[in-house]
Amino acid sequence: MTGKHSNGDGDEGDSTENADSTENATRRGLLRAAAGATVAGAASTAGCLGVTTPADVAAQNEVSGNVGHFVGPSWLADNREDTVVLDARDAERFREERIYRARRVPFDAVTARESIDEGDVPDADAIASAFGEIGVAPDDDVLVYGASVGSRVTRVAFALAAVGHEGSIRVLNGGLSAWNGRLGTGSRDRVSPTDYEPERNDSAWVTHEWLADRVGTFNADGPGLVDVRVPEAYLAAAGSDLLNEDHDRHGHLPGAVDVHWVGNVDGRRMTDPGRLVQLYEVDAELDRSGTVVVYGDDNVDPTSTWLTLKAIGFEDVRLYDGGFGEWANVDGDRGRYPVETATNVVVETDGSVGGDGDGGDFSCTG
Amino acid sequence: MTSSIDRVLAVPCEGDDLLALFALDTGDRLGEVPVGSHPVHATTCRGRTVVATMGERAVTAVGSGGEVTRVETGVLGPSHFATANGELYVSCSAGDALAVIDPERLTLVDRVAVGAEPHEIAVSPDGDRLYSGSRREGVVDVVDTESRERIGAIDAGPDARVQGVAVSPNGERGYAVDQRGARVVAFDPGGDAGSLSDGEPIRREAAVGADPYDLVATADRVFVPGRGDGVVHEFDRDLEPIAVHEGFSRPVDVFEVAGERWVLDAAAARLRSLDGAVVETAAPGLVATPVGGAGDGRLAVSHYDDDRVSLVDVDSGTVWTAESPAYPFGSVVV
Repeated sequence: MTGKHSNGDGDEGDSTENADSTENATRRGLLRAAAGATVAGAASTAGCLGVTTPADVAAQNEVSGNVGHFVGPSWLADNREDTVVLDARDAERFREERIYRARRVPFDAVTARESIDEGDVPDADAIASAFGEIGVAPDDDVLVYGASVGSRVTRVAFALAAVGHEGSIRVLNGGLSAWNGRLGTGSRDRVSPTDYEPERNDSAWVTHEWLADRVGTFNADGPGLVDVRVPEAYLAAAGSDLLNEDHDRHGHLPGAVDVHWVGNVDGRRMTDPGRLVQLYEVDAELDRSGTVVVYGDDNVDPTSTWLTLKAIGFEDVRLYDGGFGEWANVDGDRGRYPVETATNVVVETDGSVGGDGDGGDFSCTG
Repeated sequence: MTSSIDRVLAVPCEGDDLLALFALDTGDRLGEVPVGSHPVHATTCRGRTVVATMGERAVTAVGSGGEVTRVETGVLGPSHFATANGELYVSCSAGDALAVIDPERLTLVDRVAVGAEPHEIAVSPDGDRLYSGSRREGVVDVVDTESRERIGAIDAGPDARVQGVAVSPNGERGYAVDQRGARVVAFDPGGDAGSLSDGEPIRREAAVGADPYDLVATADRVFVPGRGDGVVHEFDRDLEPIAVHEGFSRPVDVFEVAGERWVLDAAAARLRSLDGAVVETAAPGLVATPVGGAGDGRLAVSHYDDDRVSLVDVDSGTVWTAESPAYPFGSVVV
């Protein structure tokens, strides 16, 4: 081609050399996108078109800096053959479309609890059995994905930690939509079950007795404590339809700071790590070198904060697996397990969870 | 025998986190003790002055030797004290528990679960029962002080917000103020039988002035100031109306002093008796403390919004007025 022309990228060119260069770049972008590569050049070229390509999405979900556990699609592309990929979504979405050869996690099984004298704890046997049924071995390097990086995904990651998984545990930033490699569909692939022997990781969780022994010390001279629920639940807002009707009592554990877990997620990917550090270390004043306990109503949502804190460098993060549901309804002497309904320690978050399966007056004068 | 000249007025000052000390006789400022966040009420027990610090999960005790001890409650918002069965109870008003403190060893010995946001507490004359009003759940919880167990709850009615709680001097009637509903209710305090159960109904109720807060129960009368309406309702022990006393600005409390009943007004610089006598004060008072026995006509008045404290004699007027740290609140004479 010669002469002045429009190259279709929105750029004006006036030479054959420039035209060839642009076309080559465009071709390279297409080829890279098809191969699942996620270099910045591919994204910028597509951006000129005003079209979002799979390569754009992949690039947006790359993870850089000193962040643990969360990886972008290029990492998976590079390590696909050495990684067991677990899908945390429901069966219907799994059948529709999934990462090729991914295995679906039976979600109910990985949230299983057992009751011991000290309270509800993860049922390590049930969880390990579930992983064994889908062919996961204790030393496998595992990557978990979902529709986003929401709490179903992080619960699977926690469940692996709870049974003492020896291999690495990673989460795909951006979820399935970030993956531009090979996809699978239909019925699950056959896998050979393994005999997964759990090594109960007691340091990953705490019980209500552990917490009761430390009432009055949280976020003071004792462990950090984060309530991940909505502020209305944390503050027991009178009349709010966000209060759980199954709870005898409303409010929060004494001294807990409220940081709603959706602040960990920005659409389908993790919130910018700098923002997360601001949220947890500056606003919530948590000590990354100390023990931090997270809890919610159940044992799913708080795992988002559990993994997020670990990802940004907190050294000892634990889940209260029984959750506020257990604490609020505890049998026996409730004076040992008090709740508070007033405080001023609510950290504002602005997160949102993308995807489709993740699912007072306090004075003496008034 | 200790003379009044040696007595000290200890005033928690909420705005400056201090316990301010004044010579009761002269008003001379004797010093101040840092006691923690938002001190609101003080009491004495076993030779110690104990301060409720609403901004803490602890109370602060000041010993006779000047030593200051922090006693953990574990739950935020200690506000009101009561002594029963040799132990000190404090309501944790940001939680759902009463903390029980050994006043000798200054340790937390127990927590009693009660309705959320307990505020005022009252004790039966024999000390066997304690009554705790819940701001959030609209009940008066009944606690056996021997076992430190909640043995029942009196339901003050739908949407009630229980503030003031009192027991008659003979222990035969209990009363509670429902701030939200502008009501006062009378209940059977249960006696020794321990027959109370959850949802125990109230016996009588009566309407009072808007935005009531505290109440006073004497041998034959119940008084309820209505802060919003500027009135004080007077009832007999069965809540039959006796009178409605009008003409106050924002009445907050009633005291029996020197044979008369005097009303503290948070929006008028005066004390006024129910018979119409008036004593001018330096500023409006939010909280007051009788400083002597039945024959003593003096009240220590905390002028919360004016950062001053006064000693007022209802016979002779203001004895002294002194500047205080910010927001002086519920004092105690030591």
